[in-house]
Amino acid sequence: MSVNDVGTEGTAAADAPNAPEGGPGRSPYGRAGDLARRVPAMESMSVLVATVALVVVIGVIHPDFLSAGQLLDMLQASVYVGLLAGGMAFLISMREIDLSVGSMFGLSLISMGLLINQGFSPWLAGLLGVLLGGVLGLINALVVQFIGIPTIVATLATLSVYRGLALALSEGQQVTGMPVDDSFFTILGGKVLGVQTSIWVLVAVTVLLTVVLRFTSFGYRVRAIGSNPDAATFSGISANRVRMQVLVLMGLLAGVAAALGLAFFTSGDPNIGTGFELQAIAAAVIGGTPLRGGTATVVGAVFGGILLAVVGSGLQYFNIPVNWSSFATGAVILLAVSLDSLLRRRRRRKDAELGL
Amino acid sequence: MAILEARNIGKTYGGVVALKDAGIHVEAGSVHALLGENGAGKSTLIKIMSGAVTPDRGRLLLNGQEVRFRDTGEAARQGVAIVSQELNLFPDLDVLANLYPVTGPRRGPFVDRAAMTEAAEPVLEQLGLKVSLRTRLGDLSLAQRQLVEIARALLTRPRVLILDEPTSALEQASADRLLNVVRVLREHEVGVVFVSHILEEVMALSDVITVLRNGQVVMEARERGTLSMQEVVTAMLGDRPAQEKGRTPLAASPVQAGDAEAAVRPAEGADRTAGTGGADGPVGRAGRAADGALRIVDAGAQGVLADVSLTVRPGEILGLAGLAGSGHQATLELVAGLRRVETGEVRLPSGRPVPRGLRRSIAAGVAVVSGDRRRFGLMLDKPIWENIAQVRAVALGRDGAFLRRTALRERARDHGERMSLRCASVDQRTGLLSGGNQQKVVLAKWLDANPSVLLLDDPTRGVDVGAKAEMHALIRSATEAGTVTLLCSTDVEELASLCDRVAVFYRGKVAATLAGDDLNQHRILEIMNTGQD
Ligand SMILES: Nc1ncnc2c1ncn2[C@@H]1O[C@H](COP(=O)(O)OP(=O)(O)OP(=O)(O)O)[C@@H](O)[C@H]1O
Ligand SMILES: [Mg+2]
Repeated sequence: MSVNDVGTEGTAAADAPNAPEGGPGRSPYGRAGDLARRVPAMESMSVLVATVALVVVIGVIHPDFLSAGQLLDMLQASVYVGLLAGGMAFLISMREIDLSVGSMFGLSLISMGLLINQGFSPWLAGLLGVLLGGVLGLINALVVQFIGIPTIVATLATLSVYRGLALALSEGQQVTGMPVDDSFFTILGGKVLGVQTSIWVLVAVTVLLTVVLRFTSFGYRVRAIGSNPDAATFSGISANRVRMQVLVLMGLLAGVAAALGLAFFTSGDPNIGTGFELQAIAAAVIGGTPLRGGTATVVGAVFGGILLAVVGSGLQYFNIPVNWSSFATGAVILLAVSLDSLLRRRRRRKDAELGL
Repeated sequence: MAILEARNIGKTYGGVVALKDAGIHVEAGSVHALLGENGAGKSTLIKIMSGAVTPDRGRLLLNGQEVRFRDTGEAARQGVAIVSQELNLFPDLDVLANLYPVTGPRRGPFVDRAAMTEAAEPVLEQLGLKVSLRTRLGDLSLAQRQLVEIARALLTRPRVLILDEPTSALEQASADRLLNVVRVLREHEVGVVFVSHILEEVMALSDVITVLRNGQVVMEARERGTLSMQEVVTAMLGDRPAQEKGRTPLAASPVQAGDAEAAVRPAEGADRTAGTGGADGPVGRAGRAADGALRIVDAGAQGVLADVSLTVRPGEILGLAGLAGSGHQATLELVAGLRRVETGEVRLPSGRPVPRGLRRSIAAGVAVVSGDRRRFGLMLDKPIWENIAQVRAVALGRDGAFLRRTALRERARDHGERMSLRCASVDQRTGLLSGGNQQKVVLAKWLDANPSVLLLDDPTRGVDVGAKAEMHALIRSATEAGTVTLLCSTDVEELASLCDRVAVFYRGKVAATLAGDDLNQHRILEIMNTGQD
């Protein structure tokens, strides 16, 4: 018998020659389980390698780059895009893209600042700002659903709408005069155990989102929609409902990022976060979330954000003229995705050898 | 001399041997049937012959000359056209553009749509495909898309035409029309390779038969006239038992497994009814469903259905037969919540009216097994176990918010074993399974959800005789465990053998309901086509 034939009677022994890992007596249905479990960990491999390699290269040339303080600062700088990229990975895995994340971030941040200036307690203002992010995400979802347009189009519009609101509410001025001694600013903008609070938050959110994506039925639904939208609908998954949930999640993440940002910067510029949407998309893609949907890695996306931050501060170390920084960032993105595609091709070959 | 010949072909996908040592030779003016069970390697062999797959070993001879096709385009230029099992069309383009994916007639740098239309129309006419050439392909039914794919191959004026299960999605009349087209091609000295699991048409059409088993030729180019159907089946299945009637349960494991489910189900069923108790208010016209029957009372929809009344009890399989558009499909759609009940009513076994929308009816216990597996059934890039878990665990969330992979895998493994699924492991990507095995995964994912109503739309499309009997036994045992089952099928034999009763539709009405001795293929076909009882 040549092909793995699972007849009505047990044929496990007969299969052995063709089952590379399964010994005789083991059901062919059971093989390769351990292999499949290793695969998710590898999805974000290339971005990890790229990030570490880049840090090491810069560190060799400029050893002071490797100081703990410098590295933490760099991580801190990546928190905002990192949080947004985590949510973006969810969206991309269901074949959607939200272009308004930078504006939601900006509008939430400005609103918090304005509320504090109105005399709200900073903690309450922060909470309201996070909720506002959720509401903005909900508005995106409602526009998509009731006007019946793709998310990318709807959020292209709300990108301007939300940014415009931020500018109008603040009258184009910086929002300043925060009570910086308040615990909101000292805790969220400070350090815990020697590490910036926002980094802790990023770690916690990354873990949480990973668990949600990988282990909950909600996460499976998200990926099922990206894998085959028609089949998902025909299996009883409501694409509209899931999309709404993910867009609200995206808004909440923007709100959290905004609270951390305001606490750290202690002032708000109405243009803050401009361009974050593209950075978040780039981070997710560099991290190994394919645009065709169906799979995602939050860890990869967050590391994609970190990689972008490393590039940013690396450029300063090498005194690259500001006018060249976009060019350099783009080049690094290209390198990172090439590495990813290389590793992926090798893995696919290995999978093919196992008939997976 | 053979026009096209494949010799000593070997192909291995990693650990899986798809072809060991297979070959076939195609003569001009002859129809060569290539048979074998699911996963035997038929599709792989013909993909190699048409340049879609490169073999590890073996030679390909075209008119006696060794050839090596780089891709299907090159094969087509040399006169070898293939209609593959899984359709390769562009859903967002119109029919005409799909008929000429690469080499359409041109006027200067522009495609010449007028010339294309002129060439295409007679071919579509011949195949009986009556759609506008401007229709978006994605809006066509599976059968219509299948015909488009065939028309596309015919338009290249091939010398060798390879058809991989071309009739699996077609109803009798269009299948017959296609078979006639093939006969005409044979007269024009075209060599035809024909893969099918529908043995009746193979016996009626083919001149020679080759049978593959486990990647090897077990019966080589035998004259059809010298063979009986029984001999062919034996060659295909080897010592695997072929069960002709799905109704007689298999003595093996499937039934026992079904019984175990039966023990669980009553509790669940009771639960469902209890949940609906008070909320439903006054008892409907159809009466309280104490017997758990599906009731369709005077149901109608403008221009499609009129006054359809059917009652199906748990444990019963009702067949819905009819020509395309005669209302049998629409009835299935009514129960699935895909179509609004405009007049009359449809009540689920719980006694509740069928909810609006597919998603709600699935949540209410309806299962919809589609034969269009690539589009509606499967996530091809995902492992088998994720597909099997998709309804119960993922869409309905019945296993709680947190899913345990080991448990899901374990369950998928059980389903796989029960269905004799041919796979390397449940972690294998579903898209790599052979067509018939993919179809089994679709059935498995719905049975996993323990539905109270099982709607089957060509559930065994492309499944071999042996596996078909096994799937029939599974459907039978799921039904006996208390499910209401409705079956639409393009395969009249399936309707006659699997169903307890068959409602035959004609022009939107039930023309007759057949049962007992009255229930046979002949009667079904007669009423389907004439509306006369
Ligand atoms: N790309 C692939 N990667 C791995 N295995 C494959 C691949 N394509 C086919 N196979 C395996 O090769 C074997 C033969 O498959 P093939 O599609 O030729 O079967 P078939 O005879 O056409 O079956 P069916 O009647 O179900 O269509 C199967 O076991 C299948 O799982
Ligand atoms: Mg096949």
